[in-house]
Amino acid sequence: MSLLEIKNLTKSFGGLTANQKVNIAVEEGEIVGLIGPNGAGKTTLFNCVTGHYRPDSGQVIFDGHDITGWSPERICKAGLVRTFQIVKPFMSMSVLENVMTAGFLHTNSTAVAKKNASELLEFTGLADKRRMVAGNLTVADKKRLELTRALATKPKMLMFDEVMAGLTATETNDAIDLILALHRQGITILLVEHVMEVVMPISKRVNVLDYGVKIAEGEPAQIARNERVIKAYLGEKYRAPG
Amino acid sequence: MEETIVTEQARPFPIKTLILLLLAAALLAFPLVVSLPFPRRLMILILLYAMLGQAWNILGGFAGQVSLGHAAFFGVGAYTSTMLLMQLGLTPWLGMIAGGLVAVALSQLIGYPSFRLKGHYFVIATIVLAEIVHIMFTNWDYVGGAVGLTLPLLPESLINLQFHSGNAPYYYISLALLAIVMGVTYLITKTKPGYYFRSIKDDPEAARSLGISITRYKMFAMAVSAFFTGVGGAFYAQFVLYIDPNSVFSFMLSVLIMLIPVLGGIGTLWGPVLGAFILIPLSEFTRIYLGGVGGALDLVVYGALIMLVAIFEPRGIWALVERFFGGRK
Amino acid sequence: MPDLAILSQVILSGIFIGFIYALVSVGLTVIYGVMDIVNFAHGEFLMLSMYVVFWLYALFRIDPIFGLPVSVLVLFVVGVLTHKLIVRPVLDAPMSAQIFVTCGLLVYLQGVAQFLWSPSYRLIQEPLLSGRLQVAGLNVSLAQGVAAIGALLTTAFVYWFIEKTETGRALQAVAEDRQAASLMGINSDRMFALAWGIGAACVGVAGALLANYYYIFPTVGTVFALIAFVAVALGGFGSVPGALVAGIIIGLVEVLSGFFIAPAYKEVTVFALYLVVVLVRPQGLLGEW
Repeated sequence: MSLLEIKNLTKSFGGLTANQKVNIAVEEGEIVGLIGPNGAGKTTLFNCVTGHYRPDSGQVIFDGHDITGWSPERICKAGLVRTFQIVKPFMSMSVLENVMTAGFLHTNSTAVAKKNASELLEFTGLADKRRMVAGNLTVADKKRLELTRALATKPKMLMFDEVMAGLTATETNDAIDLILALHRQGITILLVEHVMEVVMPISKRVNVLDYGVKIAEGEPAQIARNERVIKAYLGEKYRAPG
Repeated sequence: MEETIVTEQARPFPIKTLILLLLAAALLAFPLVVSLPFPRRLMILILLYAMLGQAWNILGGFAGQVSLGHAAFFGVGAYTSTMLLMQLGLTPWLGMIAGGLVAVALSQLIGYPSFRLKGHYFVIATIVLAEIVHIMFTNWDYVGGAVGLTLPLLPESLINLQFHSGNAPYYYISLALLAIVMGVTYLITKTKPGYYFRSIKDDPEAARSLGISITRYKMFAMAVSAFFTGVGGAFYAQFVLYIDPNSVFSFMLSVLIMLIPVLGGIGTLWGPVLGAFILIPLSEFTRIYLGGVGGALDLVVYGALIMLVAIFEPRGIWALVERFFGGRK
Repeated sequence: MPDLAILSQVILSGIFIGFIYALVSVGLTVIYGVMDIVNFAHGEFLMLSMYVVFWLYALFRIDPIFGLPVSVLVLFVVGVLTHKLIVRPVLDAPMSAQIFVTCGLLVYLQGVAQFLWSPSYRLIQEPLLSGRLQVAGLNVSLAQGVAAIGALLTTAFVYWFIEKTETGRALQAVAEDRQAASLMGINSDRMFALAWGIGAACVGVAGALLANYYYIFPTVGTVFALIAFVAVALGGFGSVPGALVAGIIIGLVEVLSGFFIAPAYKEVTVFALYLVVVLVRPQGLLGEW
């Protein structure tokens, strides 16, 4: 059984259909990519799955529960945790306090929360910035903080909304290393990205959305050769060599 | 890039502890040194309003939910304890707790519908609630209607919470109440609820995505805030021995309770104390020295202060104090 | 069984005051619609406009009818100044700062009014609009009737202005999306100032009309402002037609609950309505949300 299963999910705003009967499944322990051009409905789908929007029809099954229409906080407690495309750190708190806040999901003790948060910051490489106010971090560090914060809730599965957008090449590589490290710890990952070069090498499977409809699914190599995908989104320059 | 350090200190500051001890000693010794009734009365009011401001600050400062109806909680606290005393002869100490609990019940009544919505719905809900309660009490003959209630004079004793030969006991009680509220606030800031409150204030959507039930925690902040405001109201009734709707439910009282932390430093532990030490003497002196003519001059000053603080230093005077003392925080 | 003649008289007065509530609420909703800011000093604007008319009458014997344009002008300027001096500096500040500035203004203006003009109640003794008419078997106060019609016409004018004129559409564009509007060459700061000017001018009209028959005192605005908050929530924040419908509903609820329950509780019913609306239909009657 899949860890996350999105079944026939449809969501429209006014007359505009953002998602049309989308089906996506993510197996436990996988890294799965979800790509698509701007306005393909990725973020809407994301928000439907994580409880920020209520889908018009269809189902979201996570870890054996039908989580359709659950509140974001309940979905997080069930073990499915998201990050935001536009990062949302708690601006007035320090880096450490941000992570501690998330860690309080599993403990009422400030000391425990602090210890766990410090360890996580060590792991994600933010330890020396733990006392900085989150609002003063660079974009790359804010994204790193958001990831650390999500980790502090001890998720079964993480959903990243364009976590690598706006990063430099070096920062992107660091982020990929971090994601692979999370994967090795057994966390299932759904990567939603506009930039596809970063998704292709680390994803086991890739789903492609266009105009709210899923147009392809498969291994990265297949996707890169898929005519519909190329037409919709990739363009000539991404055609796989040979 | 310059690092901004928050909350955690690089090293402990004995100076801070020293200042705290000196302050505590000065406050404890005050009635021994000053025996004139007026300054003592002024200090009692300052301590009471610091407590009310801190109670507001828990909800408005830390959790970011601005209330303009705290007079409702203050008033029902005052009326509950007074009625229990007059009708059942209940000691004001239990009356205080009962008053706090009635205030909590009232707070949950408006918190539930309005907390799910954008901030201004809540602000208006608090004003509206306070106004409803004000009108109801003005027209409720059982509790004395517009005339209000005069508390019965009881023999002077701690259990009766009445002291006629001098106001030092009131002073120590108000100091103790403030100390309790300060202690509770400190505890909140250092534990899970405090972190949750601040996360809700900073970014409610992100807080929800991290598993935080924001409505529940806003309700909790409101309950704590309303409880202590109700307790403050009950103490006030015992202190002045007369309450009427226009003095305990007035909109301007709600404004004053909000202004104390806003001026002193919203969302800080010491802001409300600082705010009370500035505002209460200010209003008492304008009232005394400008008499009837200047009856409204304190309002002019309050209003101007709120606008100036909001525009120039939204973090209040405490932020200036911190800046003045440089790195220490 | 209540006397039908009295009941219809009561309903008429509810509709009359409802139009005034509507106009006050329109002012509030225009500011909110354009800027997402609630003007907590709205009632004090109304109070100012009543005093403008009162002093014109008391000092120069200028009747409220002729005082009205002066009041509109003064309030327009007050609105624009409010934006320029205290609202603009906190536009990018947290919402709490935006709440604090207009609350501060509320307290300030009430203080100034009490300080300068004393807390006493004043009444314009002999306005031109006085006396009563018999219309279709109903006994109508001329002042109230004219005030109601004036309020309705002003509401209609504001609606026309926002929907049909170039400037009105610019206001809507700014309300919709500040950045997109600035790309279209619309100066959003000027539009904000205009929204404040119009919002305040609405109560400039309402106050001048009310001054014909209503007591004038420093806290007169409080009740009107609270009712306007309720009306704007009921009608949907930002909606002019919503404010009109809600104003009339509130006028009716008020007089009917005063008639059937007790006059003292008529406002309680209206305020309780707010809590019900927020619980049941937070987007308001006509709001899109």
